[in-house]
Amino acid sequence: MKRLAMVVALAACAQVASGQEPASGTAPSFSPVTWERLLDAAEEPHNWLMYSGTFSSQRFSRLDQINAGNVGDLKLKWAYQIPVIDRAETTPLVVDGVMFVTEAPSNLTAIDAATGGVYWRYEHELPDDLRICCGRNNRGVAVLGNTLFMSTLDAHLVAIDARSGNLLWNTEVAEYSQGYSKTAAPLIVKDKVVTGIAGGEFGIRGFLDSYNAESGAREWRTYTIPGPDHPDNRSWSGESWRTGGSPTWITGSYDPELDLVYWGTGNPGPDYNGEMRLGDNLYSDSVLALDGDTGEMSWYFQFTPHDVHDWDAIQIPILADIEFDGQPRKAMLWANRNAFFYVLDRATGEFLLGEPYARQTWAERIDDQGRPVRLPDTFPTEDGTVVSPSVLGGTNWWSPAFSPRTGLFYVNAFDGEADYFVREDDYEAGFRFIGGGQQQVEAIDNYVNAIRAIDPATAERRWEFRITPQSRAGVLATAGDVVFSGGIDGYFFALDAETGEELWHMQLGRLVQAAPITYAVNGEQQVTVAAGNVVYTFGLD
Amino acid sequence: MSRLLAVTVLVTAAAATAGAQDAENPFTDGPDRRMGETSFRVHCTLCHGYDAQGGAETNGPDLTTGRFRRTSTLAGLFDVIRNGVPGTAMLGINPDVSDRVVWQIITYLDSLTPNLADADLRGDAVAGRALFAGKGNCAACHMVDGDGGRLGPDLSRVGERRDPDELRADLLDPSAEVEPRWWTMTVMRADGSVVEGLRMNEDTFTLRLIDADEQLWAFSKGRLRSFDRVRTSSMPAAGGTLTDAEVDDLIAYLFSLRKES
Ligand code: HEC
Ligand code: HEC
Repeated sequence: MKRLAMVVALAACAQVASGQEPASGTAPSFSPVTWERLLDAAEEPHNWLMYSGTFSSQRFSRLDQINAGNVGDLKLKWAYQIPVIDRAETTPLVVDGVMFVTEAPSNLTAIDAATGGVYWRYEHELPDDLRICCGRNNRGVAVLGNTLFMSTLDAHLVAIDARSGNLLWNTEVAEYSQGYSKTAAPLIVKDKVVTGIAGGEFGIRGFLDSYNAESGAREWRTYTIPGPDHPDNRSWSGESWRTGGSPTWITGSYDPELDLVYWGTGNPGPDYNGEMRLGDNLYSDSVLALDGDTGEMSWYFQFTPHDVHDWDAIQIPILADIEFDGQPRKAMLWANRNAFFYVLDRATGEFLLGEPYARQTWAERIDDQGRPVRLPDTFPTEDGTVVSPSVLGGTNWWSPAFSPRTGLFYVNAFDGEADYFVREDDYEAGFRFIGGGQQQVEAIDNYVNAIRAIDPATAERRWEFRITPQSRAGVLATAGDVVFSGGIDGYFFALDAETGEELWHMQLGRLVQAAPITYAVNGEQQVTVAAGNVVYTFGLD
Repeated sequence: MSRLLAVTVLVTAAAATAGAQDAENPFTDGPDRRMGETSFRVHCTLCHGYDAQGGAETNGPDLTTGRFRRTSTLAGLFDVIRNGVPGTAMLGINPDVSDRVVWQIITYLDSLTPNLADADLRGDAVAGRALFAGKGNCAACHMVDGDGGRLGPDLSRVGERRDPDELRADLLDPSAEVEPRWWTMTVMRADGSVVEGLRMNEDTFTLRLIDADEQLWAFSKGRLRSFDRVRTSSMPAAGGTLTDAEVDDLIAYLFSLRKES
């Protein structure tokens, strides 16, 4: 009550930008999201202003109204049914009481975060001959000023007016008929919209782009596979670089002080046939550090040179300032699909640590330079080679989290295995180009999946919480010392961030394959997660 | 709204095209099968697994069981592959791909499921049927067409999904491969009492069983003292009690159990 009164008193001022939050009906619900607001996103925890919460991508909220002591009382506040039936992978944004939810195939809806009521819906018109890898997914939007930016399955980037849902501009990023598509939330960097591309199973040549937020004109493009004028092009045999994949299908992070954009890259193509592309295949399965204004590369680090198991380095770079070997470090924390957990110096790209966090049978260790020392006989063969991790990876695109309060890194980890096959493949534009495949060895119930808490200074596992049979959900950490996640069994749950003890759970009826967010409306903290086809919101009474 | 309408019209139109397809596959030769296999590896492997036995990436189902959830006809199968399953990751095959390729893929899929005509069966199905209900005691655990027990899989259509060699392995070495649905769970409650049963379903927080008396049980894992998975089969191996000839008879009977029988 006290908080509400204070909020009302403040409502007359331009309080929104200073991080205060108006009560419903006391002030307009949406106000423009300036670059300064994005930089200070952590200061307004009642909003969720970008895909991973803040530019550091820690997915950590300072809200503590819901905490380890009372999370057991969490109740359903409202549910919003997405009208197009599919499996939601959306991470919504919340801006001053308005929630923006992306929906299959490439739609966007604005709803009232207090009640779930709809303001507007944008329906993107799509051709009916899309080339998409793994379903009609869209994972979220970016916001700057009054505008939302969304990737679409036909490889366009669209700008949508946040108050009306009107289309402002629609830019073709690449030709969908050549195997390109777009599913990830863009990242705002100053006055630009930085955005990636999918299509690693179609022999594309990956890139990261930046567009003018006002006009939709492209300002820079950095290919994730260097051209023949660059020495690193020689890390591809023959002409294989032209169809080498290396897409950028999940959202990156940004360090404003270093002015560096960090972005993960996906698998080289064809996925399983390394003979067709001898060499390290730079910069596939890497993290790239790019200048925010020009896209020029400052450094790169390749996690899996010459990958033949489809282990994209499509994870979210978590930027955290931690103590490492007794020194404060501007670190980057990365649990990779290849089952190793890495710590890099994010200013220089220097390799600091690489230890397994999930079951792996392919590398003896990571050497001093950060390069894996491979075990023999782990490449795909015609008769199949069983290797851990599975094609799902030690983890995948499922967002991890980091809590500065506990100092722990939280990741959804899978100890799977798969039988990997190789075959010949011919590139044909717009067709799948994977050079093999994989087969599950046993039913997933036979493998361990868990949320793991890792101490980034040592890679030591502090605790794990096991999920049956499996999870593809992201993780959220809060100042209430709660970690939220879910599973394909339809459960959404809260864990104690220090101990991993389960504090609360709720059956949502279908798989949780999205990442939870938290924010506040009317002074009350809420937690939202998509499950199946529905967006659920929880709060205390 | 108009978009929704358009989608409906499209789906209906697509269904009509498939319906118009002659429900006979025109491409069933050996070379068609090989072409189908190659095309499958290009277009389908990513989701359905290399040998069509199911994939992890998007949970594409096993296509080798001879039975589909979405369709029971050839025209329906063609339609699923051509146009996809709305609302799922299963999109229609690339529109640039010809109908011929779709038929070849169907020929390939067909070759992965057991075929009655090719089978080399030594036993006598009529004798097998008698053994099933009688000496073999199989009906104590298995139902066929609504008769029998609940402690093993329903075998009414087992001939569609298991070939004679697989059936032999099922009978002689039941524990070689046990699906999680048929694991046994041993549950100890807080008061120390024990319940044992077949694992009907288990998730992160709960567990559902059927016990030897065919009673259903549900447990919250958090309230249990312990629970253990026993991954061996509860089915006795047939080798101990039945002769080789009797096993052959049972195989002949089981293999005859199909939709049309
Ligand atoms: C992007 C992943 C993906 C690709 C590629 C894909 N499928 Fe599927 N498929 C699925 C999923 C997921 C389902 C389950 C849909 C459902 O819920 O019924 C499915 C269902 C099916 C079914 C129906 C199964 C049943 O039990 O009814 C058939 C048949 C099928 N797929 C064949 C194919 C063939 C043939 C190809 C290649 C031309 C293919 N699929 C490519 C994901 C995929
Ligand atoms: C005590 C209960 C029990 C008895 C008796 C029993 N079974 Fe089973 N059977 C099972 C269970 C449980 C499974 C599933 C686990 C497995 O694969 O072994 C199974 C599996 C099978 C399968 C494989 C089914 C499939 O869908 O893959 C076949 C075939 C089979 N049984 C045949 C028989 C026959 C024939 C007999 C009689 C000789 C018999 N069973 C007796 C419990 C039983």
